[in-house]
Amino acid sequence: MTDPSNAIIWQRQNLRELPKFRDGTGYLYLEHTRLEQDGRGVRAYHPEGMLTIPVASLSVLLLGPGCSVSHEAVKALSDTGCSLLWVGEEGVRLYASGLGETRSAARLHRQATLWANPQSRLRVVRQMYAMRFPEGLPDDLTLQQIRGREGARMRDAYARYSAAHGVRWETRQYKQQDWNRATPINKAVSAGNACLYGLAHAAILSMGYSPALGFVHTGKLLSFVYDVADLYKVEVVLPIAFREAATPGDDLERRVRTGLRDHMTRLRLLERMAADLVHLLGGDDPDPEPSAPGDLWDPSGNAVGGRNYAGDDAGSRS
Amino acid sequence: MTLEAVPESLRGELARWLIEVQPGVYVGNASALVRDLLWDKAVQHTRRGRCTQVYRAQNEQGFVIRTHGDGARRVVSLDGYQLVAVRNARHAELSREYAPPEDDDKL
Repeated sequence: MTDPSNAIIWQRQNLRELPKFRDGTGYLYLEHTRLEQDGRGVRAYHPEGMLTIPVASLSVLLLGPGCSVSHEAVKALSDTGCSLLWVGEEGVRLYASGLGETRSAARLHRQATLWANPQSRLRVVRQMYAMRFPEGLPDDLTLQQIRGREGARMRDAYARYSAAHGVRWETRQYKQQDWNRATPINKAVSAGNACLYGLAHAAILSMGYSPALGFVHTGKLLSFVYDVADLYKVEVVLPIAFREAATPGDDLERRVRTGLRDHMTRLRLLERMAADLVHLLGGDDPDPEPSAPGDLWDPSGNAVGGRNYAGDDAGSRS
Repeated sequence: MTLEAVPESLRGELARWLIEVQPGVYVGNASALVRDLLWDKAVQHTRRGRCTQVYRAQNEQGFVIRTHGDGARRVVSLDGYQLVAVRNARHAELSREYAPPEDDDKL
């Protein structure tokens, strides 16, 4: 006889068997595909044939034009903490996501606390900028000076890659209306950014933070996604985007995605994202018992949840 | 490596190098050179059978898949991510609906 505690409960995903974000694979991009659930797995009917997708180890599924998804498939994806991301040809992104793998709000509380206090928020913002300068930033710089340095760093990076690959660089354009008339290098950067934003979003959710509470960026529902993606954009997206834009041939966006996969593996990006998030916002491992009821808030200390506090004076109400 | 419906001599050859865990399933730790020689040998002697080989690699998935001799199952690489594509009845039914639109210049 097997131990009943190890019995597989099909009704509810056992959270311990889900791989953590850093151990999984990154992204998968599909076009002209129909996703359906089959038994316990997710099947994709792709022009090449029927693919069975290992969703539990996947962080983001990027769906391009011509895709449709059944209700059951979305449920399976959200159970395993795989984010869904609809990507249009014009670079328009539309997000949907499951709950992520964590069931505790400890990290989100911590993020909100850091975000709500201007001093701690400034500390996190400085840390985020400092991560991009290997030589470090002097402590006496104002935020305005730091932003100036960051702008110069971006400009230098574009100029450096532009010279190295012989691709002319003028300015970053976001032509949402006119995708086909954008320059190849702008298309390549946009395609790469879509992958990076998707991964940043998935990392934030699967670690249990909120994508809306940004520190550097503010006001958008995905501000924190832009914060995290900006930490890596120069070293992750630019080399691949310029390399592929310098190479003649069509299928530019596909080549960028293929090149990014190897490049991200070399940089161990998923591991680093997870580690950097915890380093920036702090936080322990907030998953003591994911299925236990949560506490009830009280200013003098939380009351234990999952019980009835009516006592004997409940009257006729029961 | 796995073998299906292949000549007995090939199975014997593979068993010299690898351990046969189940009928037709061979596991071992061989060098890249031996791995490729065994694969070439399997492909040459498979005749009407099927064989697969999966080996460790330094890519995102951590392994590479190769298959030979199976018309219905093919390994496809989606932006560098390997998956197995099966062409079955349901796929044939849907592919008419979901085929990418034809280019205007072909019409």
